[in-house]
Amino acid sequence: MPQNKNYFKICTMKKLFVAFVFLLIPTMFYAQSAFTKFEDKADITSVIVNKKMFQLMGEMKMDPKDKEAQQYLNMVKKLDNLKVFTTTNTKNANEMKATVDSYLKANPLEELMRINKDGQNIKIFIKSGASSSQVKELLMFMDGTGKANTVLMSLTGNFDLNDISVLTDKMSLPGGPELKKAAAKKQ
Amino acid sequence: MKRTIALLALTALLLTSCNSKPTLQKYFVKKAEDKNFLAVDISPTFIKTDKLQLTPEEQTALKSLKNVNIIAFKANDKNVGAYEKELTEVKKILKDDRYEELIKFNRGATGASINTKGEGESIEELVLFANDKTNGFGVVRVTGENMTPNNVMTIVGLLQKANLDMEQLKPLKAMIERK
Repeated sequence: MPQNKNYFKICTMKKLFVAFVFLLIPTMFYAQSAFTKFEDKADITSVIVNKKMFQLMGEMKMDPKDKEAQQYLNMVKKLDNLKVFTTTNTKNANEMKATVDSYLKANPLEELMRINKDGQNIKIFIKSGASSSQVKELLMFMDGTGKANTVLMSLTGNFDLNDISVLTDKMSLPGGPELKKAAAKKQ
Repeated sequence: MKRTIALLALTALLLTSCNSKPTLQKYFVKKAEDKNFLAVDISPTFIKTDKLQLTPEEQTALKSLKNVNIIAFKANDKNVGAYEKELTEVKKILKDDRYEELIKFNRGATGASINTKGEGESIEELVLFANDKTNGFGVVRVTGENMTPNNVMTIVGLLQKANLDMEQLKPLKAMIERK
């Protein structure tokens, strides 16, 4: 039965292909985070918070009367990933800058704000969601040019730009005042 | 027929790949014998609650807790190489053993992370990992059933209220004092 044999061959080929695709899926997810390489470097201080943490934090019971806490809980549930990298090392700072540049080329984000403050060049980029104040991704890069801290912050999820002030207050994120200004400007 | 064989081969492959993978549990067992390490097992009875009136919430929280295993690596001048090796191994296991990383902090030679295993908000395993080049590193593995974030918080609250059975912590205390 040559025909049957052929059919079997095609069938296995198809299966192999599907298996192959499944094998590739995890690598595709890893490829998404362009900044992973900064996570375990000695000269870079990093803080990574993943979706699961945000989910668990969102499940926590807090005083229902505390409006701010409730707002915070609601906000936290909308977040996926937070990554903050800080360095004073010039070489690392340059590498971060290059990575941000190439990342922005591959994933065009809208520049929300650009600030020059005390020798620090701060740029804030966002990717908007359905409405203009909905944010899917927020990227902030503070270039310390070797003198001050160079900070790279990436926050993903599906949140409102107005929520940011709650977050910066509660989590003491870097560039809090700048982010607040940017959020106010967008409205 | 061919299909069955292929299927069998696939299952065999899956099983072996699972078994050969080092798990954190195996690592704990293995390192308990190592002279660089110190292993402590703590049972939930560590929290002495006989003098307390427990709320139903606290009772469920306590029930969700099964066991706490701790291993600690004490760093000194002689075991720098071993420190690096073990550190890489633990990091690798946390990645391979399908732990979900909740939060990670890294600063120079110091780092810490919280990892969990479990579905949704019910946590089966909670792993705290902290390392510092001059002091060494420690892994705390908390196993339980249906530990929710609220349960964990309640237990933390209980720890502050209840009497702790320090007898179980003696080896750790000795290690800190030896320093």
